[in-house]
Amino acid sequence: MSEPVTAAYVLPSVLVTRADLARIVREVEKVDNELEAQRARNRANGENEYHAPATSQQLADFLELNKLNLEDDQGRMQLKEQLRVMKDKAPVIHMTFAVEADPASLQKLVEYIRKEIHPQAVLSVGLQPSLVGGVYLRTPNHVHDFSIRELLAGKREVIMHELEGLV
Amino acid sequence: MTIWWLAFIVGSLAAVFAGFVWVVISLHRLQGGNTGGGPGKKSLGDLNKAYTDIAEEDATHLFNKEFREELRNRGRLRFEKIIDENAMFLKQDLDMTISQLNDYMKQQISSKLDAEFAEYAKAMHDAQQLALSSLQKTAQDVETQRLQLADALKKDVAAREVALLKVYEENMAKIVEHYVLLALGDQFDLKAQLPYIIAQMEANKQAIMEDMRL
Repeated sequence: MSEPVTAAYVLPSVLVTRADLARIVREVEKVDNELEAQRARNRANGENEYHAPATSQQLADFLELNKLNLEDDQGRMQLKEQLRVMKDKAPVIHMTFAVEADPASLQKLVEYIRKEIHPQAVLSVGLQPSLVGGVYLRTPNHVHDFSIRELLAGKREVIMHELEGLV
Repeated sequence: MTIWWLAFIVGSLAAVFAGFVWVVISLHRLQGGNTGGGPGKKSLGDLNKAYTDIAEEDATHLFNKEFREELRNRGRLRFEKIIDENAMFLKQDLDMTISQLNDYMKQQISSKLDAEFAEYAKAMHDAQQLALSSLQKTAQDVETQRLQLADALKKDVAAREVALLKVYEENMAKIVEHYVLLALGDQFDLKAQLPYIIAQMEANKQAIMEDMRL
């Protein structure tokens, strides 16, 4: 398996695309800002209570999976930095499907990819109906055509063989 | 025959000459008898004249009209005979010459004709050989062209067959492929395709991992 680009954060399967990563980065920044604002208010008011802001399911799953607490200032700062780096550096796998990709299937795919290929890989999803089925997969330097169209083209000799058998 | 005639003429002349000699001797005797001094003695000139007259008279008597006619007839016959003989000889010579000339002409013409025929035959043979060689060459060229044409046709037919087969294969494969694409269409949802996709990724996992590592 490939090495992670940052600290060994585990990405939950609900974080599929780079956009998802960017979203939780923004959310962490927002939480950070909110907590900083509460701290400033508490300092001004002499209070010592923090109200953790509501987080999305994706961020919640991420925090839970990595045993992180956003109220920890040091950990939050580190998380923010690491997530930014991860957003920019995480390897992207472009996957083009013939049909609209449903979230459940994408989650299963990303689970497999992070388990078998790279733990912090994210997906970039596209749609191309002419593929008929399968996936057209593009890694940073290579292209893998696992589409039904390519499969049919590769099996053209089989069709011809069968046709010649008929003639 | 000519010699006899010549002897006859010479004999006649000799007889005439002998008569003349006899006449002269007779006149001399007669003159001698009268020289004794007669009154009838004549001069030599008169005598000569008289002899001449006598000779002329005798000649006239000797060569009279019948005799001249006979001589003329004989001469004519003789000349006719000579002319006939000469004509016959001439005819024989002419015939012989004509015969020889004919033979010569025949020989010359035969040799000439033989030579011409030989030349003609040789020319005919040459022309025949030339025509034969030309025909053979033409036949050979035609055969070569036929073989080339057959070869070209065979290649063309083979190429066309291959091209048609290729087109057929491509088109049939495309038709079947198109049919399959249309038949499948969007009937597969991603969930149904996941096992296939994951299996493909599993099969190429190593390559994908190495690419991600770069």
